[in-house]
Amino acid sequence: MKKLILLAAAVCLTTVTTFAQNFQEVLSKAFTALDTTWTQDKKIEASNKLGLIAKKFDKEWLASYYASYGKVSLTFNEQDGTKKDAYLDEAQSFLETAVALLGKDNDETYVMRAMIANSRIGVEPQKRWQKYGAIFNENLEKAKELNPDNPRIYMLRGISKFYTPKMFGGGKKASLPYFEKAEGLFAKRTDMDITKPYWGKQTNDYFIGQAKGEDKE
Amino acid sequence: MKRTTTQKIKYRLLALPLLLLGTTSWAQSTISGKITDYAGKPVKGASVSLQNTIDGATTDSAGKFSFTTDEKGNQTLVATEASHEAAGMPLMISGDVKDILLKMKKMQKLEEVVITAGSFDASNDKGKTVLSTMDIITTAGANADVVKAIQTLPGTQQQGTQTGLFVRGGDASEASILIDEMVVQNAFFNSAPGVATRSRFSPFQFKGVSFSSGGYSARYGQALSSVLELNTLDLPDRSTVNLGLNMAGVYASGSKLWKNSGGDVAVSYNNLAPFYGLANTNVKYDKVPEGGGASAKYAWKPNKDGLLKVMFNSTIFDSRSVVDDPDSAGQQLNFGIKSQTYYSGISYRQLFKNKWSLYTAASYSYNQDNIDYAPDYIPGYKIKNTDDRAQFRLEGKRFFTTRFNVLAGVELQHYSYHRTLDSADFTAKPSFTETSMAAYAEAEWSPWYRVAIRPGVRYEHSELLHKSAIAPRLSAAVKVGAYGQIGLATGIFYQNPDNAYLLYGYRPNFQEAIHYIANYQWMKSDRTLRIEGYYKDYKSLIREHTSFYDPNQYYNFVQGPVDNTGYGYAKGLELFWRDKKSVKNLDYWISYSYIDTRRLYKDFLAEATPSFISDHNLNIVGKYYIEKIQTQINMTYSFATGRPYYNPSNPEFLGDRTPDYHNLAFTVNYLTHIKKWFTVVYAGVDDVTNRENIFGYRYSADGTKSYPVKPALYRNFFVGVNFSLTEFNRDEL
Repeated sequence: MKKLILLAAAVCLTTVTTFAQNFQEVLSKAFTALDTTWTQDKKIEASNKLGLIAKKFDKEWLASYYASYGKVSLTFNEQDGTKKDAYLDEAQSFLETAVALLGKDNDETYVMRAMIANSRIGVEPQKRWQKYGAIFNENLEKAKELNPDNPRIYMLRGISKFYTPKMFGGGKKASLPYFEKAEGLFAKRTDMDITKPYWGKQTNDYFIGQAKGEDKE
Repeated sequence: MKRTTTQKIKYRLLALPLLLLGTTSWAQSTISGKITDYAGKPVKGASVSLQNTIDGATTDSAGKFSFTTDEKGNQTLVATEASHEAAGMPLMISGDVKDILLKMKKMQKLEEVVITAGSFDASNDKGKTVLSTMDIITTAGANADVVKAIQTLPGTQQQGTQTGLFVRGGDASEASILIDEMVVQNAFFNSAPGVATRSRFSPFQFKGVSFSSGGYSARYGQALSSVLELNTLDLPDRSTVNLGLNMAGVYASGSKLWKNSGGDVAVSYNNLAPFYGLANTNVKYDKVPEGGGASAKYAWKPNKDGLLKVMFNSTIFDSRSVVDDPDSAGQQLNFGIKSQTYYSGISYRQLFKNKWSLYTAASYSYNQDNIDYAPDYIPGYKIKNTDDRAQFRLEGKRFFTTRFNVLAGVELQHYSYHRTLDSADFTAKPSFTETSMAAYAEAEWSPWYRVAIRPGVRYEHSELLHKSAIAPRLSAAVKVGAYGQIGLATGIFYQNPDNAYLLYGYRPNFQEAIHYIANYQWMKSDRTLRIEGYYKDYKSLIREHTSFYDPNQYYNFVQGPVDNTGYGYAKGLELFWRDKKSVKNLDYWISYSYIDTRRLYKDFLAEATPSFISDHNLNIVGKYYIEKIQTQINMTYSFATGRPYYNPSNPEFLGDRTPDYHNLAFTVNYLTHIKKWFTVVYAGVDDVTNRENIFGYRYSADGTKSYPVKPALYRNFFVGVNFSLTEFNRDEL
């Protein structure tokens, strides 16, 4: 009898702990799915999963944070401007939830704000760079104040430089120092602990390769 | 035994939850079906799931989904997708559920209806505008002059010899130009008679331009026809240094961005010798226009929602030329002008908790022109014009909801004008001082997202005229369909009589115009169509009771009793089409205006169409960017039918018409970089075909000889280069 009660209790306990582990595992799995696929359909699928996780675990800022990341990453391969904006609206809304759960912004949410702003520029660069460029800069500066060792700050600056025409002070050569700075900071992280965002290394490596190429005149 | 049985039962009861826990994981159900929109089109990429679970799937290109779940009983199936509204349906799960059909509503973008009747907005901030400020800068033939670029929009008249903006039958005095909601005293460079000049302001200092060709807001007054609002940039985007060189001079400017503030300074030296050297000009310069300017601006954000701006600028200019004598056709006169202009302004805007906003601004401007007006028949004739204007505005706005707000404000203007006429034979010093006051209120209400209404009322008082007036205004817009909207605007507009009358002691009443405007606008992605019709009723225009008409538009002397018995009308139809989509990298717009207008005012002998009106005006503006060579090619073609001119021997007053006007202009901008300097090389040709456009004829005193009124320039070239360096922010790394 006693044994059985203990057994039952043990079973119950494990379900509780698996629940906590479950959250991180589920999140980690969905995030990895997103981060390791290159096709848009798979990305949408993974991003949808992150969205479900955020709604289910609605007390966890991380869930909403990654859901926001998932939505932003859908804009990279999307051509339709209206659709991009729609994804970014969703990303913004998840991010606001994440910040509300945190109580205030941290360096990662500032980075995400900057990333959303950067994607907004991508929809209509000539019309938007002025407004969203300022938001991009402002948030990266705030992120840097909180944590100057966040590699994603420099990676985003690098990407922005990379796509800025050379005549406006951008270009491959100009972007390289930013990616290299980010590379050094990425190298310090070896674990894949989902609770501390680590994303971006592969992207950064890709851009380093690109940035080492010749600038078009 | 009995005990064992109960024990067994207990055991079983205890095991029951364990068993149940186990069974659920063995009995998964498959949920599958299809998501479509209400038109039956499959929705791809939708997230379908059971609410509050992570059991779900993403739809494929046929809208199909399938997933497994451990959940049982009453559940809710939900679907979300970025461009559709979320949808849901109850689901009872006891085993597999197949062939679900869930419909999602396509997201109707709730674009706020925008009041557009009578106005064209160009802005960098707002999402939906017809033009951006960059479009203005790159319009061929405009030479980066904001007003010249505005003249490619419907409702305006092509001008070649007169300075200013002529809108919907109105003369230049009927258009008011505002910078940061302050009246600009002298928006244009002063010049010799018959030489049209550009506006003083560099388009690069503005973040937004709003051109109203009628029915404008109650916040403004003293303009019978039009208001052109220019809004200066807030904080500079970044710290930069800018250097430029062109055929009209050299300039340098710099801007510095600090944490919450920014400053700009600019200096320029202008000398039009190289420009006139290459141009085909009708004006002989003894001294080509030469001058300089300096400006400074400081902007500070004391908090997130506040902004203080302080600015100062000044220009000086000096030129001497031989021009057609506006008083005596066929004769010429030496005309020398030295002018100086100063402007200083301060403004402060603050938003309180998104519920209130406050705007206050004050400015002071001062201009002085020293003119040597030397026809042979008045030896040593000198004219000195001095004017100054101090103004103040205070405005508060209350946002009750996002769809309802009310603003109210007051405006004060103190304005004086002094003229000294001095010659060997006579001296006169006419002058006047005006103090005017206005108060206004306006509400913006959008009862449904499809409808917006903006009623307003304005009270104006003139101390000089001892007159007051109340001017109601109303505009509205209704969305029709997803991309179209209908707009309406009406209102009463007042304006003081021209300075020429006030200067010589005449004190008639306000002039008045009533506008009725209706438009239809269709805007989809990068295409815009706009059709606008209007009727404008001019009342109590100034009338000089005389039997002699003086076609001299420059230094009119009033001849005879003056009152407000003048009148007139203007009606017309305008079309605007812009397309940025059909051809990659090509952006073009076509604007066409038809106008029918007549008036009896000033010293007109009869009701007639004024000499600055062409019945048909057409502009085609094209911009094509060739990515490969980083070059933008811009073209503007303008056409206007002949305009009336005064032939004393024609019994019909202003009954003659000039030949049609044609102008073709090209500019090329090449973007590159030299070291770290972003470089733009620009070159332009105006009047490419060297067409000799004629703006009228003047007749000798005996009426036997006629002389064409020519613009200052036929074909002309303009070349320049601009370098800018953006500070590399070391802190970024």
